[in-house]
Amino acid sequence: MLFSSIEFLFYFLPAVILFYFALPVRARNLWLLIASLFFYAWGEPRLVGLMVVSIALHYGWGLAIGAGKTQKIRRLFLIGSLVTGLSMLGYYKYADFAVENVNGIFGTAFPLPRIALPIGISFYTFQILSYTIDVYRGKVQPQKNLIDFGCYVSLFPQLIAGPIVRYIDVDRELKNRRTGMEDLRLGLRRFLMGLGKKVLLANQLGAFVEVFRSSGEKSVLFYWLYALVFSLHIYFDFSGYSDMAIGLGRIFGFHFPENFDYPYVSKSIQEFWRRWHMTLGGWFRDYLYIPLGGSRVGKGKWLRNVLFVWLFTGLWHGAAWNFVLWGLLFAALLLMEKWVPGIQKLPNFLRHGYVLLAVGISFVLFNAASLSQAASDIGGMFGFGNVPLVTLETLYYLRSYGVVIILAIVGALPVVKSWALRFDGKWIEPVVMAALLLLCTASLVDGSFNPFLYFRF
Amino acid sequence: MKKTWKRYAGLWMVVGLWLALAVFAWVKPEDKTSDSERRPLAQFPEISTQNLLSGGFSKDFADYAVDQFPLRDNFRSLNAVFHYYGLQKKDNNGIYLHAGFASKMEYPLKQDSIDYAAARFADLYRMYLADSSCRIYFAVAPDKGYYLAESSGVLGMDYGALFDSLQEKLTWAEFIDLTECLTEQSYYRTDTHWSQDKILPVAEKIAGTLGVVIPKDFTEKTLDRDFYGAYYGQAGLPMAPDALRYLTWEGMEDCQVFSYDTGKTTEIYDMDKLSSRDLYDVFLSGGMAVQTITNPHAESRRELVIFRDSFGSSLAPLLVQSYAKITLIDTRYVYPKALADYVSFTDQDVLFLYSPLVLNASQILKK
Repeated sequence: MLFSSIEFLFYFLPAVILFYFALPVRARNLWLLIASLFFYAWGEPRLVGLMVVSIALHYGWGLAIGAGKTQKIRRLFLIGSLVTGLSMLGYYKYADFAVENVNGIFGTAFPLPRIALPIGISFYTFQILSYTIDVYRGKVQPQKNLIDFGCYVSLFPQLIAGPIVRYIDVDRELKNRRTGMEDLRLGLRRFLMGLGKKVLLANQLGAFVEVFRSSGEKSVLFYWLYALVFSLHIYFDFSGYSDMAIGLGRIFGFHFPENFDYPYVSKSIQEFWRRWHMTLGGWFRDYLYIPLGGSRVGKGKWLRNVLFVWLFTGLWHGAAWNFVLWGLLFAALLLMEKWVPGIQKLPNFLRHGYVLLAVGISFVLFNAASLSQAASDIGGMFGFGNVPLVTLETLYYLRSYGVVIILAIVGALPVVKSWALRFDGKWIEPVVMAALLLLCTASLVDGSFNPFLYFRF
Repeated sequence: MKKTWKRYAGLWMVVGLWLALAVFAWVKPEDKTSDSERRPLAQFPEISTQNLLSGGFSKDFADYAVDQFPLRDNFRSLNAVFHYYGLQKKDNNGIYLHAGFASKMEYPLKQDSIDYAAARFADLYRMYLADSSCRIYFAVAPDKGYYLAESSGVLGMDYGALFDSLQEKLTWAEFIDLTECLTEQSYYRTDTHWSQDKILPVAEKIAGTLGVVIPKDFTEKTLDRDFYGAYYGQAGLPMAPDALRYLTWEGMEDCQVFSYDTGKTTEIYDMDKLSSRDLYDVFLSGGMAVQTITNPHAESRRELVIFRDSFGSSLAPLLVQSYAKITLIDTRYVYPKALADYVSFTDQDVLFLYSPLVLNASQILKK
């Protein structure tokens, strides 16, 4: 079930919230667990069992790690948790990719397993592993209440598209939380802002991307517009979803971590990744990069650590070579920033331009269905393949989507937030919220273009 | 306390609005059809184990929730206005407005579709016409986009290439160019079709080429029901309705329209269709596979066969006075092989009359 859907907004969510606040506090986690399993089963009726098995299994691993008498035993149980969690992720997400590559390399003809990817498996697996690793590290106590643990793993606001909420972030709130009027106001406002970003901007930008894909009259300008628009599309799509998740969490009394911080104002790739999908970057930093030694090792090992982290970051996003290359491209850019002297001393506009160019090209690679399409798209941006500079079709769609693109560019800057905060708590705030609700509802009722990119991860 | 109440009054209004819409959605009785979109609306899906486990229920429920949402037409209009006027989109669902006329952006020209259509027409020629003494003509009924696309700044198909391509392929038919007989004013503002009261020049051009004369003694009448055309529903933009005008003549009531699809005989203007979702169905009862119009007052025994799409429904009545019998064939609804059961091709005038909207999406023509 998409947050940006009529069935979620006007059937599921009101019913869940009304019952949540009508129930006594002690029954609320059970209600959230039931609602979350229903939410998941709505889209994945056959695979909800997999998540239930994951919950039960890692609940057990957590208790076992906590009860382990020696470090060695605790480590064994942690390895058990990592192996089972990553095996499930590997089997469901990467089996086809692995068989395809084995067939390609060795000339074999093993049939593809054609395994359906359970929605959100990458997100909830990483959340679960953050729990067992932190229990092993002694940072959190094992959760003895299966309902509370199940509620943490399956919590529908962040279940299928993040942010990746670590157990340690919500440990206390699972036991003890309350929703005040201010939480309700801020949560609802955040949710509606996210809904607006998703429905009113991201979906329109996505429609432009669709138009580009189906066009038979591409031009150099069209390729560049595509790179720009897709970069904005994925930002508003994903950050809008994160806003909705954070807002919903707030309504239920949770404080989820931020996931985006205006990444397109960055002046280096390092800064970009501190602002883009922050919870994923933080997860890889704390659970992979630092355990491998981080940067406090020799040059060779550090290089290995960086490549590992970015290889896995790419693979986390998808089981395809373009995602691997996408991750390694960022590794290369980060190494360049570290090793090439003078980059940090360039004027701000050049550094900013370099980040936008690099990120734009990276997202063209990211969104390609194959490596050959990526090569064709990136080549098209530079005029390869006898592509004309501009066509009538390009100009038409530039005119037709011009206002949306300008709004999206402005909306990706922090100035909008600081401007909007001037109206915090003023009469105009509920007017904007009501307008967003009505406009988003109108768009959804009209059946406008409404996919969600991060469902595939 | 008072300050707190004031601070959160707006919040409660938003929550109230949200809940009111939700409750309205839960209790609203189901609608069967949408008049503006001219389609049946999704109904509450079947609850069964199979449907639930396959995910079919959730998909069907999503359609149901969208289709049955309260104030659906108002929300569709709000969305259209926001995108078309607020975000300055040049079209909404492919429909654009220019000088009060709604038109569909038909782009690009799909050469494979044109080739397919030409191949189907060639099949008909080989099957029924090549060995007959029929005189064969071909005309494209230009859609509104021919006149509006360029001046509106939207994308339009290459009509020149369309005409050239068909003339090149249909060498066995005489081409009739209708583009000079029409302007954008010849069409309904909210619908795809041309307005019958504005297409006398088209009928005269065709009649002149076919060697018959159209009497000019028509009387114009107007239906007393507003006509909201197909583009009105598709665009969702606020537009004033059209008036549906039709031309009558003395003796028209003696002409009989027989539809092989229904086995019914009706009049040329079928007033039973006044309650139809599409008022344009008044012309010859709407889309039919094979129909004949017989004219007992005809001065000659000449017959006309029209292979046509819906544009032919309003044009054919204007040619009735010049023929004893007109046969209308729409191969979107009938297989060409079956035509031998209905028509014997001997020495009739034969006209192929199709709009670019069908020619550019010609897979709907049966093979």
